This record gives sequence, C-alpha cells and structure tokens, in this order.
Amino acid sequence: MLVATYDLWAFVSENGDELFDGLLNTLKVSGFAIVGAFVIGAVLGAARAHRIPVVSQFTAVYVEVIRNTPILVQIFMIFYALPQFGILFDQFTVAWLSVMIWGGAFNSENFRAGFQAVSYRYREAGYALGFGPFSTFLNVTLPIGGRIALPSSINTYISVVKNTSLMYVIGYAELTTTALNISNLTLETIEALTLLGIVYLVLVWTLSASIRLLESRLALPESS
Amino acid sequence: MPDWVEPVARYILEEGLPGTLRVSAIAVVGSALIGVVFGTLMTIKFLPLRGLLRFYIEVFRGLPILVTVFIVYFGLPSVAPSLEFAPLTSASIALVLWGSAQVAEATRGAVQSIPRGQHEAASALGFGWVGRHSSVILPQALRRLLPPFVSLLVNIIQNSTLAQVIGGLEILEAGERQSERLSSSPPIGIGEIHAAEIFAGVAVLFFLISFPLTRLAAHLEKRLV
Repeated sequence: MLVATYDLWAFVSENGDELFDGLLNTLKVSGFAIVGAFVIGAVLGAARAHRIPVVSQFTAVYVEVIRNTPILVQIFMIFYALPQFGILFDQFTVAWLSVMIWGGAFNSENFRAGFQAVSYRYREAGYALGFGPFSTFLNVTLPIGGRIALPSSINTYISVVKNTSLMYVIGYAELTTTALNISNLTLETIEALTLLGIVYLVLVWTLSASIRLLESRLALPESS
Repeated sequence: MPDWVEPVARYILEEGLPGTLRVSAIAVVGSALIGVVFGTLMTIKFLPLRGLLRFYIEVFRGLPILVTVFIVYFGLPSVAPSLEFAPLTSASIALVLWGSAQVAEATRGAVQSIPRGQHEAASALGFGWVGRHSSVILPQALRRLLPPFVSLLVNIIQNSTLAQVIGGLEILEAGERQSERLSSSPPIGIGEIHAAEIFAGVAVLFFLISFPLTRLAAHLEKRLV
C-alpha cells in the first residue's frame, strides 16, 4: 500500500461515496451562501444606491471591514471568538455563514454599482406611471440594475464557491477536507490534489461560462 | 491593560508581521515580474504559446488559492523530494502562481489598449519586438496597471494568511499560537480564553494595512483611467 503508484481512478472509486458527500457539502454551503449573498447584496446595495440613512452608513462600514480583513480571519472570528460570548455554531453554520457574510459585502458593492447605473429618467418614468418608490424599485431599478450587476455578482459567487475550500480550517467535511483526510490515511496525496483541481476547475469554469451566456442573453437592448 | 496583552502583541508584531510581510513582498514582486512577461507574450499572435498561457491563467485563477497552496506544499514533495519547501515559501509560491495569472490577464488588456500607432512609431524608429515593448509599450501600459497592482497587493497581503493553514508563522498563526498558549494552564498560559480579543486585534492589524491601500487603489482608478 505504501508503494507510490499514481491511480486517480482507484482513489475516486474506492472513496466514491465519501468524496461525493464532500462535493454535495461544498455545493450545499455554496448554495446557501450564494442565495444569502444575493439577498444581502440586493437589499444593502439598494440602500446604498438610494442613500437610505443608517442602513447606508452601516453597509459602508460592513463592506470596508469585510474587504479589508482576510476571510480566514473572519472565519476564525466566527468559529473561535464568538463562542467566548456564548455564541456557538456548528461547523455547517459557520461554513455558510462566513462565506455568505463575505460574499454579501462584495455583492452589495456589485448591486450598488448596478443600481446607480440605472438612469434617473427610468425611475421618473416609473413615478409618472403612478408607481410608489418601492414598486418603482421592484419594477424598474431592480430588473435593469440587477442585469447590469449580474456579471460582477456571478464573479462574487464564483469566489464564494472557491472560498468554501477554506472550511478545511474548521474541519467541515466539504470537498477539500474530505479529499485531504482520505489522502492522509491512504497517502494518495497526488490523487487527492488532482481530483480537487479537476472538480474546482470544472465548477469555476462552468460558472464563468455561464456569465458569458447570461451576458449575451440578458444584455439590455440598447447596450448591444 | 491586562498583563497578557503585551507579550501577545509583541509576538504578533515581532514574529508574525515579518512573516506576512515576507510572503507578501515575494508574492507581489514575483507576480508582477512573471505576470507582466506572460501578459505581454499573450499579445503575440502565436497560437500554441497563447493557448499555453491562457491555460496557465485559467487554471491558477480558477483554483481556490488554498488548493494551490496544498499542491505546492503537499503535492510537489510527493513528485520530487527536492521540491519540498517551508510553509512560508510554499505560500509565497502559491500566491505567485495565482497573482501572476491575475497580472498576466490585466497586462494583456493594458498592452492591447495601447494604440497601434505606438507600435508602428517604435518600429519605424528601429526598435525590435523586445525594445519596442520594454521601451515604448510597457511603460505606457504599466500606468494603466497601477490600480490593479495596488488591489493585487491588498489581495496578496490578505491571502498570505493561507500560510497559517500549513503552519507558516505569519500574523494569523502568531495570533492563533498565542490564543492557544493563553488557554493552557500556568506557567505557560493563564488558563483563560482570549480568542475574541486576539483575533479582533489581528483583524484590526490587517485593516490598518489594507484600508489605506484600498483607498489608494480607488484614488488611482479615478485619476488614471
């Protein structure tokens, strides 16, 4: 067993169930975090773009704090520091919560830029048609600004997927943790790393291909 | 201030900070040098070379940096024992692979944004490909690269914390070691948990380094574009 022979297929087939669970956990954490980051981004981005008092200032601070501190430190804060105040989360919660908070900060900047790019004339047209401020946002600013923000927000979601690999530090059994834990027992380090590389690149490349597809399909009529 | 603070702060600043700075410095310089060269070569119309560089860029931009760190730290020694590097060096190499891919992509765009006439004028003056790029095109392209360079620096400083995962002594690892030390019983520690204060301190330290740089990047972006 100690003889170093490279056999990626044996590594995958012998540990298939475990690796598949790891992949599912990666996707689950990513999914939760992406949905959360979308909501945070849309709401706080709107607050910033429309300069809603208090929320807007809070968002500015939130964005600067997240952007200027390493995500690994943020994970350590949630996992090691919060329990000191009696706030104890399980690993799964720490996993999606930390990447969601991180992605939400970047996404609120994406959406702010998108909403601010919507011409004031469109909103005036909304008001002229009798929409209130909130329905003008829902029916005019969000569909147009959301599309403008789409490519940059998908880039943020791609980073969210990649950042789930950091859950290795809290021992949450997502793909990276699972593959490396197996390789620690079987010494199939190269196989584990090859598999990680392939899976992450497929995930990331698929998502970035979707940006190009969506960009062409959702492009605003006048921008072509 | 409680007694435990001073030695902890000293350790983080004297043992951790130099590690972070060393990794960041190597990573930034390496990324810039390799990235600018690769990015310039990307503009040559020689398909196999361009395909190879495109692959390099897409792979190292696509991989989570932590996976690249593991490939360098765990993977390379399994391939050849001579490729075994210390944790901080491994993190630096991984960050150079990632950073150079970022820089290459940005450089390609910047070089291509220099008007055709500049190339022609340089050729008319008798410059060859290397002279034309090093004396005429790149100096102009580098100006446009300044804002992304500053952002890269911020990203690299923050991602240097990934060295912590493989035990490299940088700011976060220094904080982690002190937090563990304090929680052990005397005489080594004080049997108290101060993770919140220590990691908050680490976060503040990173914020103090990063915030002026992100402001600078935003400022340069406005001025130079």
